[in-house]
This record gives sequence, C-alpha cells and structure tokens, in this order.
Amino acid sequence: MIIPHFTLNDFLPVMPVGVLMAAAIVLMLSEVFLTSTTRTYQAIIAALASIVAGGIAVNNAFEPARLVLQGYAVLDPFSSWTTAMVCLGTFLAVLLSAGFLKHRNAERGEFYALMLFAAAGMSLLSLSAEFITLFINLEVLSVATYALTAFLRRGPRPSEAGFKYFILGAFAAALLLYGAALIYGATGATKLVEVSAALPAAFAKSPALVYAGLGLVLAGFAFKVAAVPFHMWTPDVYEGAPTPVTALMSAGVKAAAFVAMVRTFLFLVKGIDPVIPFTVFSLLALLTMVGGNLLALPQRNVKRMLAYSSIAHAGYMLLGVAALFAPKLVEAGAKVGVLTATPLTGTAQDVSVAVYKGLLFYILGYTVTSLGAFGTISALERREDETRGNTWDLERFAGLAQRKPGWAAAMALFMLSLGGVPPTVGFLGKLFLFSAAVDAGLLGLAIVGVLSSVIGVYFYLRVVVYMFMRPAPIDAPAPFRHWTTELALVTSAVLVVGLGILPGTITEWFSRVGMVFGH
Amino acid sequence: MQSWIPILVYLAIASSVGFLMLGASRVLRVRAKDVPPTRELTYESGEEPVGNAWIRFHPRYYVVALVFILFDVETAFLVPWALNVRALGRFAIVEMIVFVVILLLGWVYALRKGALKWQ
Repeated sequence: MIIPHFTLNDFLPVMPVGVLMAAAIVLMLSEVFLTSTTRTYQAIIAALASIVAGGIAVNNAFEPARLVLQGYAVLDPFSSWTTAMVCLGTFLAVLLSAGFLKHRNAERGEFYALMLFAAAGMSLLSLSAEFITLFINLEVLSVATYALTAFLRRGPRPSEAGFKYFILGAFAAALLLYGAALIYGATGATKLVEVSAALPAAFAKSPALVYAGLGLVLAGFAFKVAAVPFHMWTPDVYEGAPTPVTALMSAGVKAAAFVAMVRTFLFLVKGIDPVIPFTVFSLLALLTMVGGNLLALPQRNVKRMLAYSSIAHAGYMLLGVAALFAPKLVEAGAKVGVLTATPLTGTAQDVSVAVYKGLLFYILGYTVTSLGAFGTISALERREDETRGNTWDLERFAGLAQRKPGWAAAMALFMLSLGGVPPTVGFLGKLFLFSAAVDAGLLGLAIVGVLSSVIGVYFYLRVVVYMFMRPAPIDAPAPFRHWTTELALVTSAVLVVGLGILPGTITEWFSRVGMVFGH
Repeated sequence: MQSWIPILVYLAIASSVGFLMLGASRVLRVRAKDVPPTRELTYESGEEPVGNAWIRFHPRYYVVALVFILFDVETAFLVPWALNVRALGRFAIVEMIVFVVILLLGWVYALRKGALKWQ
C-alpha cells in the first residue's frame, strides 16, 4: 500500500473552503441552538467568513502553480483568483439576502449555510484536477443551489424553478460523468495529468470513444455555464429563484464552471487535431453571444432580461476560451510543448497571458455588475407581488429617478456596465477580452462580439430610459431599505466604477506568467 | 481452479443447512386441523398488514432514510480506514475525527430540528 504523505502545503488551496464550511456548520447549528428573534448576525457571520476565505485565496494566488493532494487538485493563480471572486460574489449575495429575507420574514441560518456550501463547491470545482473530484465538487455546488432555488416556497414559481433546475442539472451531471467514464475507458486514468499523457495513444487506438467522451464532458459543462444551445433552463430558473440566489448563480456558478471547463479541456485536447476544439468553442461562443442578446431583446421582464443577458455574457467569456485554443497559440505550444512544465515563449506567451487576464477580469467585472443589477431588482421587489406576474416588469422602474435618485443612478450604472459603456468595469472587461481575442487571431468572432453587444445596449438602456424619462405610476413601490442591501449595492457600484477607472494593480496580478498549472 | 473448491464446499454446506432446517421443521412441526386466515398473511413483525405495499408512504420515512444514509455511508468509509489505520498513522486518525465530527454535527442538527421525532 502506498501511504500518502501530506504536508500543510497540500491543504493551502482548500483553506478558504475550510473557512466557508466551518462558518456554514456554525450557521446551521446556530439555527437550532440559538432562538433569538433577530437573525442579522447570521448574515454577518456568513459575510465575514467569505471575506476571510477570499483573503486566504488572494494570498494563495501568489504561490507558484503546482499539483497538490497527490494530483487531485491544483494550486494555481487561476483557481485562487476564481475562489477570491466567488468569495466576493458570496459576500455581496449574503448581504443582499439579509435585507431580502428580512422583508419576507424568511431569515434562516440554513439559507446562508447553503450559500456558503455552494461557494465552497465553486471554489473546489475551480481547483479540481481529477474527474471524480470534479464531479463531486460539481454536485456539492449543484445540490446547494437546487435547494436555494426553491428556498422560498410561496407560489408555484420557486418549485417550478427548483424542479426544472434539479432535473436538468442532474441530467447534465450524468452526461459529464458518462463522458468521464468513457475517457477513463480510453485512457485508464482519471487524474487530468495522467489522462493528458495517455490521450495521444488512446486517440490513435479508438478515436470514437475519445470523441464521445469529450463531447459528453463538454455538454455537461456547457449546461452549467448556460451556453446556447444548452441554455433552455436559464430564464425559468433565474426568474423563479430568490433574486440574491439568482445573482450568486449568475456570477459564482458560472465563473467556477468556466474555470473548471478551461482547466479540463486544456488537458484533454492533447493528441487531437487542434482545429476541432477551436471550432467547437468558437461555434459555442458565436451561438451564445448572438443567441443570448437576441433572446433578451423582446423581454419586458427585467429579471428575465438579465437572465438572457447572463447567457450573452457567457458567450463573451466563451470567446476568451476559444482564443485559448486558437491555432496560433496551439501551434506555438506544439513547439515548446503545451501542457508540460515548459511555458510558452515570445508573442504566443504574451497572447496567452492577455487571454487569461481578459477572462479573469471579465469574470470579476461581471460578478460585481450582475450582483449589483440583481441586487437593485431584489430591493424593488415586493413580497405581495410574488403571486402576481408583473413583479419585474419594466413599468416598475418607471420614474424611479424622481422617487429614488440614488437607486436609479446605481441601476443605470450597472446597466451601462453590462452594456459595456466606459468608464465602467464592463467596458474594460470587454476591451481586454476582445483585444486578446484579436491578438489570438479571432478577428471575425471579436467583430461579432462587438456587434452583438451593440444589440445588448438597446435593452440595457431601455431600463435606464424607463427610470429617467417615464412618469412614475401612482402605486409605484418604494424600494425596501436595509443597511446590508445598501452596503452591498454601494460596494458593487464603487467596484464597478473603481475597477473601470483604476484597474492597474488588478490587471497586473491577473497577467502573471504561469497563471494556469501546466500551461 | 483449485482455489474455488473451498467456495463450492461452502456453497454446498450453506444450501444443505437451509434444506436441512426447512426439512426438519416440516417433519417436526405441529399440524393445525384447520388453517386460521391470519396464517396466510405477510409476516410483518407481528403487526397485522393493512392494505398492499403499493401505497404512498409518509414523507417522514424520507427524513429517517436520509439520516440512516448519513451513518451508512460513514460506516462505508470507516471500515477501510479501520483496516489501515495502523499503517496510515496519526494523520489518518485526525482526518477521521474531523470527518466523524462533521457528520455528528449534521446528526445533532437533525436531532434538534426534530427530524427524528415521530408525532
């Protein structure tokens, strides 16, 4: 028997997860042992835990990339930054939930515990380097979000959303697992490093098996990131879930799934004609960018519009993923050995660094913006509207600027950032990502991306028009106020503008060489 | 092939024990003159069965089943650990304590929540 030897070093990447899990357990027990009437302390515990976990993750991001825990996980800046961004998203979502749940008299420790479990799953997903680990972490994340989706059981909508998400999510997870099983059948390994080493031989022997496995794994991931044509569930689930949960799903779940997808496929393309992964990811990016924006166009329901917009943003991120598999980068990698310890050199290295920077910065920008946008919506929702159908109708935003100028300004800022207007973080994210894609040789796709984001500006600005240029209806609801909601919105707004104007240090951190293990 | 013979012998003994016991009770049993109707019923720990098995069960069973699985899976991990704990050393003991404590906290939560109360 081989006796594993672990040092404290091995546990460095899972430290943030440890903090999140410990806080989640404390919150669950607080629900059954403490019977105080106010429960704001639960939100504060959860928020503090995400700050601490995020801090540890930022600290980990400056460690050199390496395999840990016997090759089951990686410690690299890519996963550490993802963990940090997930923690930021969780922090904001928890603060939004505090006011949201209080207004509905539904504050429960379990809600925050589930959020922290989901965040732990996301962090672990981003650092998994083995198929079984990957699958289990995907389930940790998914089961927590299924439960959160149906947490408020008022009216038929939450149960519909929860059920739909559960059935389709379980199906997608099964696809991924089946794909992993086929790849295991072809290569005899589940650790990504070993799979990568065994793939060329396996591909020569039984190409159909490998293709089927890769296709199924891709379908599983595409479902989680809501890429067209695997996006059907997104609008219904995003609309039915409690709005802070929707915010967490659109930011955190997507980021973690993206990072896991990039990591897995960087290892899995070895031995395959490089044109194939490039074509597949380009096609997905094209469909998702155009499809998401076109589907969002006719929506009058702002929450549903944001759900489609999150699909469109996944499309822009997929553009970055396609750029990673661009022939230009892959050819350069073939010379020096992609997926070995040997790094890329020369311009290829610069381009690859730029793509990673663009991807990470885009994820960061989308996290703060979508948390802000969904947060403003959550504050405008009224508990009594839940059974009516018009909760998120555009009319609800009419005249908001006269009644609540601060809220309207914040919402306008988030909309402009989603549309990619300077000086917001959304603009810079698009700039970094599109210019990196152009450098990688994806000029055509980048043009499609810019054009489709012009479509997006129409429906984002429509919200702004309603807020500033339409008179308010007589029975217009005022946003409910809670200090945590306001803190979350102010934090997002400051980050949206701050990162849009002064991205300096962050971009420097995101553009270090050796961002991803083995690449 | 040689190594399979003990298994064949074991199978033969195991099945003959069953036949022997059933056969012995067939020879030795007390024969009732007329069979009471309750004898034809399914044996349910002495309870009289009501209706058939194709009914909707109370969701209460589901919580009990979940808590059962918690400890069932725990055992599945504890057994291989117990076989190797000497070789694995102190690290494995700490690891298992963490694992068991987390599951115990889950059980405490279920207990305090009243999941195991049968009212």
